[in-house]
Amino acid sequence: MTGNLTLETLETHDGLRARGDPALPAVRLVLPLLVATLTLALLAPAADGRLREAVDAESRTLTLVLEQDPPQLDSTRSTDTVSIRVLGHVKEGLTRYDERNQLIGGVAERWEVREDGATFWLRRDARWSDGAPVTAHDFVYAWRRVQDPATTSEYAFIMYGIENAEAVNTGALPPSELGVRAAGDHILEVGFERPIPFFARLAAFAVFLPVREDFAATRGDRYGSSAADMLYNGPFVISRWSRGARLTLDRNPHYWESDAIWLNRIDFGYITADTRAELNLFRDGKVAMANLDSETMHNALQQRWRIHRFDDGVLFYVGFNHRPDRLTRNRNLRRAFDLTFDPHEFVNRIIATPGNRPGISLFPAWMQGAEGRLREEVPPRPSEVDLERARHYLELAREELGLERFPPIVLLTGDSPTANKQAEYLQSMWGQTLGLEIRVDVQIFRQRLAKMTAGDYDLVLAGWGPDYNDPLTFGDLFASWNLNNRGRYANDELDHWVRRAQNELDPHLRAQAFGEIQRIVAEDVVVIPTYERARLYVMHPRLKGVVRRQISPDPDFNRAWIE
Amino acid sequence: MTDHPQALSAADFAPASARPDAHGITRPSQSYWQDAWRRLRHNKRAIASLWIVIFLLAFTLIGPLLWRVDPYAQNLDRISQPPTLAAQTLLVERGVQWEGVTLPQWPHAPSREWLTDPQRIELPAPEAMEVVGDPHTLSVRLRWSPVANAAGYQVYRNTYRPTAVNELGLPLGETWAGNDVGYEDQLALTPNTYWYSVTATDGLRESEQFASIAVDVQLATTIESALARGLIPSRDAAQAGDYVAMPANPFGTDYLGRDMLARLMHGARTSLFIGIAAPLLFVLFGTVYGAFAGFAGGRTDDFMMRIADFVIALPFLLFMILIRVASGIGPGESGIMPLLMALVVLSWPATARLVRGQILQIREEGYVQAARLLGARDHYLILRHMVPNTLGVILVTLTFAIPTAIFTEAFLSFIGMGVAPPVPSWGSMSNEGLKSMLNSPHELFFPALFISITVLAFNMLGDGLRDALDARMRSRE
Repeated sequence: MTGNLTLETLETHDGLRARGDPALPAVRLVLPLLVATLTLALLAPAADGRLREAVDAESRTLTLVLEQDPPQLDSTRSTDTVSIRVLGHVKEGLTRYDERNQLIGGVAERWEVREDGATFWLRRDARWSDGAPVTAHDFVYAWRRVQDPATTSEYAFIMYGIENAEAVNTGALPPSELGVRAAGDHILEVGFERPIPFFARLAAFAVFLPVREDFAATRGDRYGSSAADMLYNGPFVISRWSRGARLTLDRNPHYWESDAIWLNRIDFGYITADTRAELNLFRDGKVAMANLDSETMHNALQQRWRIHRFDDGVLFYVGFNHRPDRLTRNRNLRRAFDLTFDPHEFVNRIIATPGNRPGISLFPAWMQGAEGRLREEVPPRPSEVDLERARHYLELAREELGLERFPPIVLLTGDSPTANKQAEYLQSMWGQTLGLEIRVDVQIFRQRLAKMTAGDYDLVLAGWGPDYNDPLTFGDLFASWNLNNRGRYANDELDHWVRRAQNELDPHLRAQAFGEIQRIVAEDVVVIPTYERARLYVMHPRLKGVVRRQISPDPDFNRAWIE
Repeated sequence: MTDHPQALSAADFAPASARPDAHGITRPSQSYWQDAWRRLRHNKRAIASLWIVIFLLAFTLIGPLLWRVDPYAQNLDRISQPPTLAAQTLLVERGVQWEGVTLPQWPHAPSREWLTDPQRIELPAPEAMEVVGDPHTLSVRLRWSPVANAAGYQVYRNTYRPTAVNELGLPLGETWAGNDVGYEDQLALTPNTYWYSVTATDGLRESEQFASIAVDVQLATTIESALARGLIPSRDAAQAGDYVAMPANPFGTDYLGRDMLARLMHGARTSLFIGIAAPLLFVLFGTVYGAFAGFAGGRTDDFMMRIADFVIALPFLLFMILIRVASGIGPGESGIMPLLMALVVLSWPATARLVRGQILQIREEGYVQAARLLGARDHYLILRHMVPNTLGVILVTLTFAIPTAIFTEAFLSFIGMGVAPPVPSWGSMSNEGLKSMLNSPHELFFPALFISITVLAFNMLGDGLRDALDARMRSRE
């Protein structure tokens, strides 16, 4: 469950975190395809009579870059943001988010979430790309498929809470026992093991997307592996998918709200994770959008392009190893670290790329609470810097641990330039203020994750991105049973409040529970939040209606248009 | 002598008187080394290089005594500054975070009618913008007049006056309510003039209309950090509003505000330590090894030289990594010792080959044969004939090995296998500088310059030494 654990870098795309299948067979398959596509690509302009443009209002075509080829597009097994982004354009779940990031109906017209379950009433005009209606059975099949141990879906856990989900996933019960059933073609009934008050929002997530059984059965293992091996019910369909080279989406005439879709084609004409290459394509007018990193940002400034920013939702923090044999288990030591860290200085002087917000809470500023923003409903304690108290706590920690002096403390970090800079700053800062010797352990992402899981560190620079639009996606991160709680923090009081937040239906009481979680994380210094990441990008000035959001699919071109 | 025949007299045929000084040596006798030094002195490039090398040694050893700046001290008020002289800085109290400006009477979101109006026009720009308080490098506080039906505002910053929406510059941040009309900018400010712009957004579309304001920002430091850095003697010695002198950074500062000059001096220690210690060790070992092989000759020689061939074939980088792993270097520990070890273990065969060749040649020289016939022992032969005659070659090898070793260290530190942060080395400094090459070129320029100069100086010095020490070169003068 690498989940949404994210690299602490502006440069790296989250989408890299889970690459798909073994390379060799793929290479054999891809190589001839690649040659074929290259030949085609060379011939194509001649055939069209003109070159591809980034935005073409006449044919309503948009050309874009994709950071990587989706490993596969079987929604029940997808984990990476690129796959989820593509799925967000070609499929539609029960619910979805609109341009203002408000939850609205997708395939479901209306719904009702109760303590013991939920009911979704499906719209009758929702159709698959072959014209057949989307029915409640398609959801039942998809969700059973997610929980089926044979599918080995990494996100299966996200459905735990649905009746029997965990038992099915561990193989104790057959998939047919999953607590979801179709009451007719257009009513979906979901039973809960425990209340899931935010279930309507959760249902917008990719693993909840429908899969049609008769179609998937004919494709078997190939389902989701190519354009022809998929069925679509979203605003677009994949018309062409040349592995590693190009992915083209065309408007889906069978989509129930097809009239509201302006674009005829979204052409991911280039697949590269190189931000420099992306920027060059943008400069040459070949793509309509380009993400910026700390270096290409300056090129964009020099070119006098309008630079946009948005909060991408990821929270970064200094994590502690709470295992019993570690010094960082000592609360006073963690307090000393906390009292010397200034997130404002960190964001403005060390990271020094615009738009990031100082980390002051486990819950990022954009997170929704009961009515407005969670941060306004349960304000976090402001961060403070107090050297004298920090040294006092350090002295207490030294006495409690029975140490003459502190041994070197290992700070685990990623291998990106930004991560190095952050680690070096923390090393020197804690060296100067607390007199501690910090050793920086630089590791590539996978190795860092392995070391985190094995507990081979004291401090770690890590990040967490949201899976669904509810504070719980951050709130349960340090619950003792959460496998992503890699520092093995265990606190009964925190667990209690996480359970409350999971089970409470009243939004205000839930917000209070999140407030308690926020308080415990801060008082017990479970982690030190460092910053909330913002991303910068440039976009074709005529392209409008693109939605950037914290929850995938991001960016969302479904309702975009060209002026 | 002249060609013209002349009349000869009898006197011409009288026996000459003995001249005792006829075969006397008119010039002072010069040893091999004196001669070499004489020729080296005539080589201008070599002498210039020698001075550079002396300067570098002084820079490394004496420099830190004169330039007493802590190479590890971060000065976050001056990050990535180009070379600067001393500057006056304003002292300010440690600021509390500004809460911004929220207008209680103003609606925080657009009206429903307005949002649902399909014919709605673009939001106007705020009518007025102003700076709140003193703008300085720690904080610039802005407020602007609210815009009707705004759901929030975007704040931009640029270094020139924006004339169109594409020139707004860096998007600093945003507010999320129509009545939130304040923003505090703390992002990497330098003493400069900035243009701030604000646009309104209705939550869906950002307006193309913007209001701008120019702000002159002056350098400032909090009293706490001035105290921590010793700019003021005590908390009571200065108060907010006073000016104190910030020390000069003749070579600028790096990405954490550390003084580049001090770091270059300390980085030189690593570079020169490896550059001198490693060649000394492996040249010494190679000399002894090669001399023994050459002198012993026969099968011993054969066997020993095959070992040398074997070592030459080993890939350096791979073994460097292997030795690093084998020596149990933990995370965050310096890799300098394994680097030294790898250099010594893998670099000696070149010297050994060279010295062996020389010894083989000298062994067959007439004077050695003569000495042998006269009953000289082996150790006499080695000390009296072999070593002095190979010393020139060894010295040249050594001089050429130094820049190679310095370059290897720089390269390995560049790829992160050398020193551990925060210890500087020219290589690791170049690596860090590379990342911000476009914005602050001095961070890459100076360490790269020092590496280049050092390598060049040692190479040219080696060149000169080779010319001076090579006996055959005498004929060319």
